[in-house]
Amino acid sequence: MASAKAIVSSFVEGAPPGELADVLAGMSPTHIKALTISSPHLVDELGPAFKKYNEEQFATVKLPGASQPVIVSSHNALGGDRYYDLESSVSFAFDHATQKASAVESYVAEGETVELAKSILKALSAYVKEHYPNAAYGAYPTENGSKVAIIIVANKYSPNNFWNGRWRSLYIFDPSSSSLEGSIKVDVHYYEDGNVRLLTNKAAAASVPSGTGQAVVREISAGEKKYQEELNRSFTSLSEGAFKALRRQLPVTRQKIEWDKVASYRLGQDIGGGPGRR
Amino acid sequence: MATADPFDSALDLLRRLNPKHTAEHLNNIMTLAPDLTEDLLSSVDQPLAVRRCKQTGRDYLLCDYNRDGDSYRSPWSNQFDPPLDEAGAGVGGVGPGGANEGAGEGAVPGERVRKMEIKANEAFDVYRELYYEGGVSSVYLWNLDDGFAGVVLLKKASPPNDGSSSGVWDSIHVFEASERGRTSNYRLTSTVILTLATRGAALGEVDLSGNMTRQVEQDLPVENDDSHIANIGRLVEDMELKMRNLLQEVYFGKAKDVVGDLRSVGSLSEGQRDRETHRELIGSMRR
Repeated sequence: MASAKAIVSSFVEGAPPGELADVLAGMSPTHIKALTISSPHLVDELGPAFKKYNEEQFATVKLPGASQPVIVSSHNALGGDRYYDLESSVSFAFDHATQKASAVESYVAEGETVELAKSILKALSAYVKEHYPNAAYGAYPTENGSKVAIIIVANKYSPNNFWNGRWRSLYIFDPSSSSLEGSIKVDVHYYEDGNVRLLTNKAAAASVPSGTGQAVVREISAGEKKYQEELNRSFTSLSEGAFKALRRQLPVTRQKIEWDKVASYRLGQDIGGGPGRR
Repeated sequence: MATADPFDSALDLLRRLNPKHTAEHLNNIMTLAPDLTEDLLSSVDQPLAVRRCKQTGRDYLLCDYNRDGDSYRSPWSNQFDPPLDEAGAGVGGVGPGGANEGAGEGAVPGERVRKMEIKANEAFDVYRELYYEGGVSSVYLWNLDDGFAGVVLLKKASPPNDGSSSGVWDSIHVFEASERGRTSNYRLTSTVILTLATRGAALGEVDLSGNMTRQVEQDLPVENDDSHIANIGRLVEDMELKMRNLLQEVYFGKAKDVVGDLRSVGSLSEGQRDRETHRELIGSMRR
């Protein structure tokens, strides 16, 4: 049987976009106490779960005085819950439980791919502005400075209308092999008198021979456009295909059932247009 | 701060966590709070399991309403599987965690209600064939002091066609009929659990899963027991039509719109310029 801590951690990790606080409300200390008498300080032990959630979901935070949000991920982690932003050349402490930043300091990144990362950032900034109404982005030297991690995260929360959404893109560009690899993940939650979740995952792989920041972002842009068009088509094909195959809107006769005569259906007329289950 | 009710908290949590794994989340919550087990099991809808009736060879659906201990009653034969005597002897009283509690209570309807149950199963078998063209249906009824109650269950799975997309639909319609002379008051709570998935080289993986619940209450005239079946049939048919449209709107319309709100396929600045040009054009036409 899973431990209480493992269970509550799994709830944290499964929180829909923008709903971490709501998931925790359902797990408020009062309940934890009531639900798990043996471990009254469970919430205090959830630090690793919060950190995993924030780094995987690319939590965003606005630094004091800044206009743009910055990203929290494993690729810009400095250790000890500090992270940095290459574009604004600062580092900050991040409280994973409250999702608040503090102790901002100037920070100079080092490594052979810093200049490439900065060139990617420049092109990325223009691309994100053109296609994301509300997104944070970043590029960071990663894997001992040999590669560049590129992240885009877009959130839209509309709790008053019972829906929230998140788009996450992560790419690793390796200048030595000119390869660009990554994934795009979309997470949409709708919860008015129900609970509906869209979860997607698309692996991306491409080669960028010229290896310039411009060319890398051009490849990302083309791939994301193609993916979104493909995803939009999949809604139509699921609606016309699998969904229609489950239940008809009306019977073949295009008429609702005459319930007063339903007992005679079986004897009188061909009801299903062919042999049924048995 | 007022203490929130643990049961409400559990339901709110289940409304937020991935609906595809409700069973797993439910087990986890029950591990944390065993006291909530009975209440949660009777109020959280899960995908229906299918079993084949040993007496008739027909498939039927399993839920809390045709369960007695570890046995389930077939609507086609009215027999429990495994038979109750053996099950009772095997379990011998309340099992671990009190899971046996309430066994046998109201598990088999009285003679009049069982007669209606037989007719309702025949009627919804026709309904199933007309709307689902396959799948499984089951209706279970039980007696109430001033009438009866029941559940209409429908399940259909569409296998992956050309290896890409698949889907499962579960309908759970729970109703109470309160008889008041020549009319009857019906209260219906309907849940549809719909899971869809598709994959492809250019698409990757897409999972669209969830459940929606709606309620309706209506007073309808009743002449005899057959009118009950017709009334319930119409209520369920109307509700399913409404919910199918709603599901279509949310699963395919809303989800697509939200993705479009996150990322714009077209250029945002061009869109902005187009809107400004349009505005200027309208303005110049007004002058």
